[in-house]
Amino acid sequence: MNSILRYTGTFVLLVVLQLIIFNNIEFSGYVNPYVYLMFILILPVSIPSWILLLLGFLTGFVIDIFTGTMGVHTFATVIASFVRPWVLSLNVTAEAAEGDMSPSSYRSGLRWFLIYTATVVLVHHLALFFVEIFTLKHFFHTLLRVLLSTMVTTFFIVLFDFMRPHR
Amino acid sequence: MRSLLNFLLRFKTLILFLVLEAVALVMISTSHNYHQTVFYGLSRNISGFVARRLERGTYYFRLRRVNEELVKENTMLRRHLEELSARPSEGFSGVHDTISGISYTYLNARVISNSVNKQKNFITLDKGSKHGVAVGMGVASPSGVVGVVVGVSSNFSVVMSLLNTDFRLSASIARNDYFGSLTWDGTNHRYARLSEIPHHVAVNEGDTIVTSGYSAIFPAGLMAGTLTGDQKRGGDFVSLKVLLSVDFKKLTDVYVIGNLKKDEREKLEEEVVK
Repeated sequence: MNSILRYTGTFVLLVVLQLIIFNNIEFSGYVNPYVYLMFILILPVSIPSWILLLLGFLTGFVIDIFTGTMGVHTFATVIASFVRPWVLSLNVTAEAAEGDMSPSSYRSGLRWFLIYTATVVLVHHLALFFVEIFTLKHFFHTLLRVLLSTMVTTFFIVLFDFMRPHR
Repeated sequence: MRSLLNFLLRFKTLILFLVLEAVALVMISTSHNYHQTVFYGLSRNISGFVARRLERGTYYFRLRRVNEELVKENTMLRRHLEELSARPSEGFSGVHDTISGISYTYLNARVISNSVNKQKNFITLDKGSKHGVAVGMGVASPSGVVGVVVGVSSNFSVVMSLLNTDFRLSASIARNDYFGSLTWDGTNHRYARLSEIPHHVAVNEGDTIVTSGYSAIFPAGLMAGTLTGDQKRGGDFVSLKVLLSVDFKKLTDVYVIGNLKKDEREKLEEEVVK
């Protein structure tokens, strides 16, 4: 019960941060960090995949409502939720696999968390930017936006991970 | 039956994933006529409320620039006023009609939400149907064309920005009146392209691009941008790169432009052109 409350609080905090601060960051139209994805990344390792998918849908949907981009964030976040268990199993470590632990650099090391975060964020951003533009016309331009934004989003998520209280 | 159930259970995650993605895709593909749905009106009112609160906080930081722009515009208006009052009155009119001769009305509004980094950018204004804003009205800032109103609720309206790949504006070169269509290619928020200009038209870097007035949305001669000199040839026409006069990243105060004679004009055009 306690942990559900804590995750709900994190969810609200991340959505508010995204809307107030990160949606207003635009370096010449290339960099748009989407840190709300951190919510999907830090859910417990043992969470059933169908709940993860539904939470991904909900997260994307809430962001879509507030930014007026119907469906685009929903699509990308569901994909990210779908690949998360797979990415976790790819570079799993003994510590990270334990029960209802939340994936973090504190438990599993910075290197591990960085690779895990960057992979899921990359998948999310690829889906997001290409679905948003819906054409391959400016392929390399879009790809550059994806890569730069992935780096910045990953940076902020790792930064926030350091600020999390660990018990 | 049992094997079908087993199949479904085995792939339940994949099936749920596909269903959710299908829902998201349906949401994306229907978002064009989405403006009409009740739900969007509701969500717009909620997000409009949040955006207005935010805007109130950040507005103070831009006051200096806003003031400068207003002073500049005041000066220009005073100049116009001077010209007009110097002109002798033309003819008689039996009834004192305050709107005779006037075609366009202006309503000032504040931008409460805006973006430049998407392919399809929209702007939210703090004025809605309650203040007389209607779908199809033009929107301009003191420095030039901004967009067209595509949706209104009672307190807010949503404007399709010029920085939207679906936006087309009938614009002309002020110096020689050749007209084409101004569109944005979705890359840089400072530049757009004026296409459908014939080969033989001589253009210079710095030429002014204004609205043509061929659609009933904008009055003719409203500033849109200046030519950069960069041009692309294709077929019988050239397309010219245009530096937009409005910096969409610094947009705060705009005018909604209503055309009092729009209905009359469109009705006539519809009757004749069939």
